[in-house]
Amino acid sequence: MARLSLRAEARRFYLGYLWWILEPLLYVAVFWLVFDKLLGTRTPNFLMFLAVGKLAFIWFSKTVNNAASSIINNAGLIARMDLPKALFPLVVVLECSYRQLAVFLLLAVFLLFDGQMPTLQWLWVVPLAVVQILLIIACGFIAALLVCVSRDFVPLISLGTIFLMFVSGVFWDLNSLPDQNAANLLLILNPLAYLLDGYRQILLWQQPLNTVHLAVLTAILLIVNFVLAKLIHRYGRHIARRVISQ
Amino acid sequence: MSVAIRLVDIGMQFAVSKNHDGGAHRVLEGLNLEIRRGEKVGLMGRNGAGKSTLLRIIAGIFPPAHGEVWRHPDMTVALLSLGLGFKNELTGRENAFLAAMLQGLSRKQAGQRLQDIGQFSELGAYYDEPVKTYSAGMRARLGFATGLLLETDILLLDEILAVGDRGFRVKAREALQEKISADRTIVMVHHAERAIQEICTRAVWLEQGAVRMDGDVNAVISAYGSQS
Repeated sequence: MARLSLRAEARRFYLGYLWWILEPLLYVAVFWLVFDKLLGTRTPNFLMFLAVGKLAFIWFSKTVNNAASSIINNAGLIARMDLPKALFPLVVVLECSYRQLAVFLLLAVFLLFDGQMPTLQWLWVVPLAVVQILLIIACGFIAALLVCVSRDFVPLISLGTIFLMFVSGVFWDLNSLPDQNAANLLLILNPLAYLLDGYRQILLWQQPLNTVHLAVLTAILLIVNFVLAKLIHRYGRHIARRVISQ
Repeated sequence: MSVAIRLVDIGMQFAVSKNHDGGAHRVLEGLNLEIRRGEKVGLMGRNGAGKSTLLRIIAGIFPPAHGEVWRHPDMTVALLSLGLGFKNELTGRENAFLAAMLQGLSRKQAGQRLQDIGQFSELGAYYDEPVKTYSAGMRARLGFATGLLLETDILLLDEILAVGDRGFRVKAREALQEKISADRTIVMVHHAERAIQEICTRAVWLEQGAVRMDGDVNAVISAYGSQS
């Protein structure tokens, strides 16, 4: 299903599959222009710093926003078949993760051009990406449920991801905050901030990861996802009634 | 014959106002119905009598607000209705494949059915064009062919025979009569009495959310006809 959706989307646009990497790159370009050229940031090697953060963040924001409408967008199908409702957000996650694979590969090429040497430490990207997928699934489930309750949540979720972008250190460095306690608090409370910082630690700064943090985060996310999946399963038919009668 | 579907004291309402606290529109109230395996039941009634809602409750799409729904645990069910449900950007073939997979067929089984579905729906070269280029009749044909050729025990048809050109309607009815000679159970909603006469062995007339009359097709049709 995810693969078919991807094919469908590629067909809708003139440039087709090219948009997968073009769109995130344009975002990076715009942010770079504003923060580096116009405002003048003091972060060293800002372009790469931004690329790592922004590309990982877009994966999150785009997927969650798409997942939010995934159930109501399939009302036609839901009206005909008693399908597990968790399927729809999960398809979106799978779809976007396929694309992200291409984006990450491109990022690797950029890093090589930038003179970063690939080390074994780069492999830490894999567990980080897995945890990010878990986080995306959890947020996607919640977003999709909220939109089933009311469509009014669609713009709110979109606003929410923008807020998250500002507090996750996409274009500023957490480690440069004057108050290190605040930075630490942010890393604990905002898993996305931890993940973005984690990608940079490995790819740009060759620093070891805080693995305890990663393990705890994984455990919490697994539990949250389990509970959410149960909830969606249990109320699947009520969701259907809601979606069809709206 | 064994019971396929049993509905006891079914009630259903939908919220009318936007905030869902205001009035509720009662669609079904105190409905009882028992359908046996192999029966071909035609549902009749005015617009808003609750026919489509009833089919969805039988299909298990959503639960009724109150009452009991029992469906034979070994029987599979498919609901065919018009309208949404296709992915517009995908071709007819891809949509049929998706529907087959979602019905629980394996990749291989689904692949085998694709040819037949394409042939029956008479889409020709359009079968490999995106569904958004289809006319309403073509969509209906694809939907019907897909539903018909995925063999389920209980087939619920919501106005699905009303579309397509005359030739296709005849063919669809014939195929249905052929397919239903076995012990498949059918519940269909259709506004044309002739289709119900041709296919069904029993008719049920719904009014104000409950069964007003139930029995022989011709008797129900003539009573319904003299009423409206």
